Amino acid sequence: MSTHHHHAKDFLFTYIFSTDHKMISKQFLVTGFLMGFIGLIMSTLFRLQLGWPGESFEMIELLMGSWQEDGVMAPDKYLSLVTMHGTIMVFFLLTAGLSGTFSNLLIPLQIGARDMASGFLNMLSYWFFFISSVVMLCSLFVEGGAASAGWTIYPPLSALPQAIPGSGAGMTLWLVSMSIFIVSSLLGSLNYIVTILNMRTKGMSMTRLPLTIWAFLLTAILGVLSFPVLLSAALLLVFDRSFGTSFYLSDIYIGGQVLEHSGGSPILFEHLFWFLGHPEVYIVLLPALGITSEIISTMTRKPIFGYRAMIGSMMAIGFLSFIVWGHHMFLTGMNPFLGSVFTFTTLLIAIPSAVKVFNYLTTLWKGNIVFTPATMFSVGLVSTFISGGVTGLILGNSALDINVHDTYFVVGHFHIVMGLSAIFGMFAGVYHWFPKLFGRMMNNKLGNIHFWITICCAYGVFFPMHFLGFAGVPRRYYTNSEFPMFDNMIDINVFISVCAILAMIGQLVFFFNFVYSAFRGPKAPMNPWKGNTLEWTSPVEHFHGNWYGEIPAVYRWPYDYSKVNANGEYVYGEDFIPQTTPLGDDEKDGGEH
Amino acid sequence: MMTIIVVVAVILVVIAGSQLLKIAELRALSKGELIYEVSEKEGKQSGLLMLGFFAAFMAFFAWQMWSWYGLKLPVSASAHGVDTDWLTGATYAVITPVFILTNGLLFFFCFKYSYSSTRKATFFSHSNKLEMIWTIAPSLVLTVLILMGLSNWNKIMTPIADEDDRVLIELTGQQFTWTARYAGADKKLGRSHVTLIEGVNATGVDATDDNAKDDKLVKGEFHLPVGMPVQFVFRSLDAIHSAYMPHFRSQMNCVPGITTQFNFVPTKTTEEMRKITNNDEFNYVLLCNKICGAAHYNMQMDIVVESQEDYDKWLAEQKTFVE
Amino acid sequence: MTTVTLENTNYKDEIRRKTSKPLMWVGIMSIVMFFGGLTSAVVVSQGGGSFLTIAMPQAFVISTFVIVLSSLAFHFGLISVKKGNHTMAKLSVGITLALGLAFVATQYMGWVTLHDNGVYAIGSESTQQSSFLYLLTALHILHLIGGLVSLIVVLVKTMKERYTSEDSVGMQVSLTYWHFLGGLWVYLFFFLRYSIA
Repeated sequence: MSTHHHHAKDFLFTYIFSTDHKMISKQFLVTGFLMGFIGLIMSTLFRLQLGWPGESFEMIELLMGSWQEDGVMAPDKYLSLVTMHGTIMVFFLLTAGLSGTFSNLLIPLQIGARDMASGFLNMLSYWFFFISSVVMLCSLFVEGGAASAGWTIYPPLSALPQAIPGSGAGMTLWLVSMSIFIVSSLLGSLNYIVTILNMRTKGMSMTRLPLTIWAFLLTAILGVLSFPVLLSAALLLVFDRSFGTSFYLSDIYIGGQVLEHSGGSPILFEHLFWFLGHPEVYIVLLPALGITSEIISTMTRKPIFGYRAMIGSMMAIGFLSFIVWGHHMFLTGMNPFLGSVFTFTTLLIAIPSAVKVFNYLTTLWKGNIVFTPATMFSVGLVSTFISGGVTGLILGNSALDINVHDTYFVVGHFHIVMGLSAIFGMFAGVYHWFPKLFGRMMNNKLGNIHFWITICCAYGVFFPMHFLGFAGVPRRYYTNSEFPMFDNMIDINVFISVCAILAMIGQLVFFFNFVYSAFRGPKAPMNPWKGNTLEWTSPVEHFHGNWYGEIPAVYRWPYDYSKVNANGEYVYGEDFIPQTTPLGDDEKDGGEH
Repeated sequence: MMTIIVVVAVILVVIAGSQLLKIAELRALSKGELIYEVSEKEGKQSGLLMLGFFAAFMAFFAWQMWSWYGLKLPVSASAHGVDTDWLTGATYAVITPVFILTNGLLFFFCFKYSYSSTRKATFFSHSNKLEMIWTIAPSLVLTVLILMGLSNWNKIMTPIADEDDRVLIELTGQQFTWTARYAGADKKLGRSHVTLIEGVNATGVDATDDNAKDDKLVKGEFHLPVGMPVQFVFRSLDAIHSAYMPHFRSQMNCVPGITTQFNFVPTKTTEEMRKITNNDEFNYVLLCNKICGAAHYNMQMDIVVESQEDYDKWLAEQKTFVE
Repeated sequence: MTTVTLENTNYKDEIRRKTSKPLMWVGIMSIVMFFGGLTSAVVVSQGGGSFLTIAMPQAFVISTFVIVLSSLAFHFGLISVKKGNHTMAKLSVGITLALGLAFVATQYMGWVTLHDNGVYAIGSESTQQSSFLYLLTALHILHLIGGLVSLIVVLVKTMKERYTSEDSVGMQVSLTYWHFLGGLWVYLFFFLRYSIA
């Protein structure tokens, strides 16, 4: 009897209220992917409306209920879907799902620690995230529908239920959910920063950290500095919505009535929001870049090119991300001089980004590339980072932004450079570290199929959007059929929608592979990819503490791949030298010969 | 019934898939291989696919340019738009080669350096010279682009001075219509405030203000004289709207509580544009480009650009505010 | 080989000692950004013009002295612990707690004065700056309550003489937070004094 009781308790603390970073990582991964899948389905639903506006899809009615009466989506529900898609993808999948999974898994394993600084805070971080996910999903089912003011929730639209039904209970829950989410994110970031700075194993100096860890560190710093500002913005919005204050509202006439608010400014919200909003882009992107750096180096069997430049450019990107938020607001009537300053700082970001791309290319050059699905997704990331990044030069330049601002050009740009890059990084990470997560291997063939479907369909969805942007098609339009000038666009929209549906089906391959491999995949060896970093020295089976016996010490940087001696032979007979191997007498550290 | 069939089919596919995967794994094991190790042959195939993908990607790019580039907005109908269009073109001239070259190198390297057991990867960890080159080269290009962009931006954003000959129009957005107000004979707009909205006074013009008496409120469509600078002032009564006039390369947010401004010189009449676009029904439009509510997708107003005489005639027909 | 898990090493204790202070500092960073966001919101709002002034209640001036004194008392408590003078430590921490509570009381008195002067937090008679005034002070109190809870814990532990000259990490973390709250109030006081009141 008592042993049975013990088992129940064990189960509870092993799988549910675990303080082990590896279990928390898996919890983040699964929750993030579930949210991501919901976001993906939402996008398919509104793509149906955009591709075939006004057409009746009675099958969908089953799923959508009154949102889709007679098979046709209602305009305000379209906006709800767009808003929820954006929120879920940006925050729940690509912030919590990506950072939460890999920061938790890799920080202790790669720096050589038995767990995070505070396992308890870590557990809280996950459970706050879980609760906020539940609240966000609940908001779909309240009166008036989910929040529908766009993921940027600009007031007054988001503040006034008279303006759009979704700004009633749906928006309230959105704000509650995001506040909980911010707490979760802060607790997580706190832990990541302190763990990295204080708990590195012997010999693991900052310049011997894998680039993943550098990326997670900078991401966490960005999070700690920017999320509180979003919290303050949300708080003021709550007061305006519920208590009649006038932080953001002024001189409003709606529904035949003049509202009492006076003296506030919606622009204030935009400033506060984008002060988070822009660093958020890099909170999403940096972990993906870190993961890719690690995978590309391991899989090309070459050291990452320009390790220090990579760190420097990530720092530069992180720093600049705090002083560019105004480029989202060029057309809010801001002082033109301020607009000039923001143009300048924004375009500066192109420099560290270019450095990163060229460094990736040079790493691939004369490598010996092993094509696992993780490698392919990393290559995919570099491609989308380029393709989406170059159009940033148009959008960041205030004079040119005037004509493409808030058109599909923007939608194409940020989906490629931020959405695709980040999700490619996340997929790459899952394929690469699956053996560490679940002790089993994923199937390569299915992974390859998944990659090719995803990259083809993803470009198929987002590349044509630039052409819609040239034609001046605004984003967040329920249908383009009200303007004769957009009548010719229907072909493009159908093309995009077909690609979107195919892309969604392609993800089913991944989910099947993921679930199958987690339970029935072949057992993983300790170091399947012949990597140098510390996580590959920890046993396959999971236990709280990561290493039997002493934590291994570190003697060299993590990128000694294919290091040869004067005779052209591998220094230790293999094309990789784990960080735990002491330096030889005539060896230099940090990629010096 | 349909639902049941679909569910059963999905379950069967999943089961069959799982069995196939297990069989493949066991077969590899019986041959003494590990299924997750990428063989040299598979690697070469993937490398080739990478190159193939790049070719397909470029073909896709070319196909899109061929079939959809023509859908872009017609030539700019405003003076400043010609400059920004030129700069946009110049930026494209920079980024398109960069886009093709870097993507090309990426996929070519993937093909060229796919795994071979007989080759060693080159241990090449950094080169200050190379890194300096690709820090400085983009910086130089960016400097030029930034400077050209800023000179355009400052020109566009400078309001036209009061004393200059200009048309002054206030555009007010509200869910989900636009109202244009012409400054009238005195070339000055009267005060307005939301608390004064009543009946036909849809934007709250202050009737006690002398400047307001000759103001003219227009809905449905508004007219502009060709070749004359137009100074716009924007207001909103409820949510944030954005006054987007794509043919004039003009856009500005309308924010409740504050006014914003934009100006341009229309250079082509509606008639001329109809000839350029080969479309007899062509009309300039003002549309809303900031999410503002359920009918955001249908918040529009037509713009007619015509000769000074026609414009004067049209304006004379419009009633003043006090009328 | 024996299994080393977190449960059978004293690793956990060592980590706690090593990381609790940095955790507090990073936490403080995010609180700084939170208040930074709000106070810059005040500055941005003032750009709109038409900002009335509000008379700062006398009670807030007293609050400022109270919280500075409490910080000094707490600091003296830690010095006493380090010197091994437990009686003095108990007394100091007790005084700190009392001053902390006095701070809350003076804040409340300040709000009463504001309210009597017709300065309201919300509702149709409130203005943007009156709302900001209440909101910022209330949020500070909200953070201070966390500080008071930790003070109570520290007081209990001091009474039991748990802190020694070798190990007083818990007390130091609480002290850091308390100093921060004091600094935050002083900043808010002068900020509000010169921007709103």
